[in-house]
Amino acid sequence: MSTAEQAELTAVAGARAIGARRRRRPHIRDTWWRHAVAIIGILVALFPVAYTLSSAFNRDNTLQGASLVPTHVTLHNFGNLLHNNVYLNGGGKTDAPYLSWIVNSMIIAGATAFLATLLGAFAAYAFSRFRFKGRRFGLMALLLIQMFPQFGAIAAIYLLVLNIGNIFGPLGLNSLLAVIVVYLGGAMGVQAWLMKGFFDTIPHELDESARVDGATPAQIFWGVILPLAAPVLVVVALISFVFTLNDYVIASALLQTNNHFTLAVGMKGFIGDQYGQLWGPFAAGSLMAMIPVTALFFFLQRWIVSGLTAGSVKG
Amino acid sequence: MQNSLKRTWALLGVVAAISAIAASSAGASHKAGPTITIWTDSDRAAAVTKVANDWAATSGATIKVVTKQFGDIRDNLGTVAAADAPDVITAAHDWTGQLAANGLVEPIFLSSAVKANFPSYTLNAFSYGTAVKKLYGVPAAVENIGLVVNTKLAKVPTSFSQLETEALAVKKSKHQTFGIAVQQGSGGDAYHMYPFFSGLGGYIFGTNKAGNLDPSDIGVANPTFLKNAHLIDKWNKEGLISSKVDGSAAQNAFLKGQSAFWITGPWNSDTLKKSGLSFKIIQVPAIAKPSVPFLGVQGFMVTKFASVHGVDAAAKDLVTSFMAGAGPQTTLAAANGRPPANIKAKSSDPVLAQFSNASKGGVPMPNIPQMSSVWGDLGQAWVRSTKGAGAMTAAKSFKAAARSIAAKIG
Amino acid sequence: MSTATAPIPAEPPPFSPGRIARAIAAFSGLPGQIIKLAFLAATNGLAVWAAYVLADRKHWVALPILIAATAAIDIVYLAPRKWTLPLKFLVPGTIFLLAFQIVPIVYTIEVAFSNYSTGHVIGKADAIKAIQVNSLQPPANGRQFEIAPARDASGKLVLILHDDASGAVYVGTNKALTPLAKADVTISKDTGQPTAAKGYTLIKGAELFAMDAQLKAFNIPTRGGSAIQTQGVSQAVELQPTLRYDKAKDQFVRISDGVVFKDNGQGSFVSSVNPKDELEPGWKTYTGLHNFGKLANNPLYRTPFLKVFVWTFAFATLTVLLSFAIGLFVAIALNKKGLRFQRLYRSVLVVPWAMPGFLSLLIWAGLLNDSFGVVNNKILSHFGFTVPWLFDANWAKVSVILVSVWLTTPYFFLVSLGALQSIPEELTEAARVDGGGAWGIFRRVTLPLLLIAVGPLLIASFAFNFNNFNNIYLLTGGGPYTGSSSIAGSTDILISYTYKLAIATGKGQDYGLASAVAIIIFFIVATISGTAFFRSKALENVN
Repeated sequence: MSTAEQAELTAVAGARAIGARRRRRPHIRDTWWRHAVAIIGILVALFPVAYTLSSAFNRDNTLQGASLVPTHVTLHNFGNLLHNNVYLNGGGKTDAPYLSWIVNSMIIAGATAFLATLLGAFAAYAFSRFRFKGRRFGLMALLLIQMFPQFGAIAAIYLLVLNIGNIFGPLGLNSLLAVIVVYLGGAMGVQAWLMKGFFDTIPHELDESARVDGATPAQIFWGVILPLAAPVLVVVALISFVFTLNDYVIASALLQTNNHFTLAVGMKGFIGDQYGQLWGPFAAGSLMAMIPVTALFFFLQRWIVSGLTAGSVKG
Repeated sequence: MQNSLKRTWALLGVVAAISAIAASSAGASHKAGPTITIWTDSDRAAAVTKVANDWAATSGATIKVVTKQFGDIRDNLGTVAAADAPDVITAAHDWTGQLAANGLVEPIFLSSAVKANFPSYTLNAFSYGTAVKKLYGVPAAVENIGLVVNTKLAKVPTSFSQLETEALAVKKSKHQTFGIAVQQGSGGDAYHMYPFFSGLGGYIFGTNKAGNLDPSDIGVANPTFLKNAHLIDKWNKEGLISSKVDGSAAQNAFLKGQSAFWITGPWNSDTLKKSGLSFKIIQVPAIAKPSVPFLGVQGFMVTKFASVHGVDAAAKDLVTSFMAGAGPQTTLAAANGRPPANIKAKSSDPVLAQFSNASKGGVPMPNIPQMSSVWGDLGQAWVRSTKGAGAMTAAKSFKAAARSIAAKIG
Repeated sequence: MSTATAPIPAEPPPFSPGRIARAIAAFSGLPGQIIKLAFLAATNGLAVWAAYVLADRKHWVALPILIAATAAIDIVYLAPRKWTLPLKFLVPGTIFLLAFQIVPIVYTIEVAFSNYSTGHVIGKADAIKAIQVNSLQPPANGRQFEIAPARDASGKLVLILHDDASGAVYVGTNKALTPLAKADVTISKDTGQPTAAKGYTLIKGAELFAMDAQLKAFNIPTRGGSAIQTQGVSQAVELQPTLRYDKAKDQFVRISDGVVFKDNGQGSFVSSVNPKDELEPGWKTYTGLHNFGKLANNPLYRTPFLKVFVWTFAFATLTVLLSFAIGLFVAIALNKKGLRFQRLYRSVLVVPWAMPGFLSLLIWAGLLNDSFGVVNNKILSHFGFTVPWLFDANWAKVSVILVSVWLTTPYFFLVSLGALQSIPEELTEAARVDGGGAWGIFRRVTLPLLLIAVGPLLIASFAFNFNNFNNIYLLTGGGPYTGSSSIAGSTDILISYTYKLAIATGKGQDYGLASAVAIIIFFIVATISGTAFFRSKALENVN
């Protein structure tokens, strides 16, 4: 690579990543097997999703494990949800503020993903760049704490939030803020390890040159490390987003009224009764919720593939 | 850094002062008049609100209805803080033992006039006590499963052998793998299989001299049942019932006309009505004994928190006097699509009426806490003995279940 | 990192950050200071408020903890010392970690040493009260009354009673029950309640419902130790206690036969004649190592433990290894620059993991159904055989692993994708120049570097699957029971086995026992993971 090109390279997180833009399509001889792998993977991945789709279009509220074509095709499951109504098998209908659930879920998952990634990055930076007493112990502890079975944890968290709520209303039971804050308890977990590993590969020379220029550790963090770590930050944020979106236990323990439920909690109510489970709306609701997640991933991909590998300095 | 430190303290001081003022002004708000908090599930919330407010109009009390998931009502009652705790809850009768043993609900008394309006088994369902049996709840709705017959595909059977013949005939003509669509699945379903169990002479707990359920008398493998257990092997061999059928498979088979017999409950009444099939609901015909279903009774209980909140008398009045009346009973039961418990309350729905008729002689699910040790094993006993080829003999399977239940209860 | 054979790169270009980096960096100067101060001010303000409320409610344990914590935070961010530097970055996350991960763990440990279970949920004082209430029983020929609270001429609160059965009417005070003339009292025909009484003013409406305490205080003595007590605002019942509480000796005595019920130290009053005869409710109390002892001594719990443990280990290991292998392979396959549809492929491949777990599991359970599931019915039947996926002990294990791999592979795909980006092209180029085939490059360069980054994640995923309740319970419910154990099925892992122990044995809901098992599981997982950790190279990179 010429020096001109090298000088042109930016380390900004992927957006201007050269690799994807300035590409020549590789030869089909090299890539046919890649396409094959992808297609097989997609078939296996989407196989059950097809049946979920079938259940979503089925009027009978059963899980279609037997045939792809629903017994009675209907769009009602989707329509009813969008109108915040759900009809029971035994007659009558129940209030199901689906749109509120989606909004709540997006708020909680989005805020948690952002904040957890940030907190994790702080910790990862400290473990990566500083040498201090108790560092190895701290890293091990972070990993081991996550391994404790969460059996009694829910009761404890419920009581904790209850008591905090008696002091601070906004952080009490039934508030989205409380749920976000509880999820942040896991911010310094395994994902922090992943980020630390990535930070470790960012050469210390960059830190040094910035320090020589008069930057404080905080400025090095924000100005040098974070931009270069864009791929791992995006991956961690996405993982955090999906985990939070799909969590049922904590959300159901803390959220009390229908309007505050997240998607997972609200929809579990459809199949929560032992009898009279409503698989139609459940499948429809889950599928509709998948759309923003997949779209999010689609757009965030460019940030994962950054220009980091092209010409950066590793030694 | 000195400047910034000074700045910091100044900022902190200002913030502290503001928060102190705000904190001191935020006192606890106090409501006048008794407030009754009711926990109920989303299906019943509207009906409960209406009924409770009708009562409150005469009493000057305020009603607060909180909607929760049905199972959470029981689970959270033990951990909720007293200030947020409910005074009245919607409950299923089989929670009675657990809640009473935990000291979370209060015994109530009904006047003889009111008692006369409820079938005794509904009151029994809400009664519990190791020494003295007491009533803890007022029944509102009853549910039980019944045998739904597709009258176009088969004749309504009057005896079990007729049921067998009809079911097997349909199975053969539709090339199905089972005759009667009753759900089990790999986890088992002792509830749906109970009519067969009781028809063969099985029972769960016997009663002691005081008339209370006796957890040491387990009837899962009692001599009468074992004598008739060979019938299960026969059914398995001819494919009358199969444990591979789960809820969805059973429903699909019936609705698609591949099975003429479906065992299900009133929670599917709307599904049945919309299916366009002509059907009739009866009790499973007797085998060696009447094949009675399990009865589930739902109702309302007064929690111990009512005393803590000082609304004990009001709460008991709401539950024992008002909610037991015919009008409220109809409203409350209809909300969930179930027939009401009060015999004077009228349910106009013909499908629900048929389910009610199928409940004759039914047995309420045992409400003692030891019942939680029974469900899994009893369900698995059926799964093992009706899984088709390679199934265990019923006698052996149920004897193993009885041993295991006894060991768990201790 | 080995660069022994790599060509020496040219002089590194000066670091020139892009636009976004410059924007973020701009924050670090004065604006950054102000933001830091603002956050600190907010934290301290909240702490002052909380301290005020805590002091107001006399929480003398929480208050000093709050003050110490706030002081510590202030020191970390304001004191210009060298050792506070790493702490500045660690404190935010640690606060949440302590509050919502450590505190629940401490709580679980506390519960493990208690008897918290069905029948042992409330405190001892409440339990005694409840036992006394429960012990009240209508005597033989006990009467039930419809009542109406009223005030007599002097304004004293009395009860007007109407006997359901005999039709007699009375006025009752805490001293006595006095009959009234039937003519003096009007009775409502439908409810049987007195609606008027000569010489008394009946209390009606809102006032009636506000006198809960006074109504409860009524205890009208009748014959033989019985008394009439109110039940609600319109009823009273003649009741007789069957148990007497002896406060001095802290025991209950049954009145009929004198049997004494003593506190057994495990949270119940039990009869001294028959220890199985206990009064309900009991109360929650510390029982020390009782739960652990139960696990060790009861063969019902102890025998399946080893078998379940081995299977749990196998399940977690196989799931992680297979998911990682497949995920990595697909990530490498799709890592080619310029591959057509690349972004589409990657987005779709993540769907299994992004879908709600329990929906996928339940759909799979339907798909794998022996007789009706599509896998057997439509796919395998073409090849002429079917597999008893969920009904056979061994095939159930295979099903569980396959479905778990389906669920976990996208996660490792994603992670590998990110980690692959951190492997510089120079190294792979150098290895290719050295003359390695694709597999050789992978083995010598890519895999070791990848394992350093992903190693901890493998271990964490192992721990996660070790405790993966959902995947087992929703798919097989613990699996076909082969009859050797009634609690543990063939696909039960330790955590689902614990759940069954807690929920489905004895009287159910035995949280104390479940917490004890949770602690044991934690020790097992931590030991395995810690060992794997120390032996792996991952820890080398920590230095």
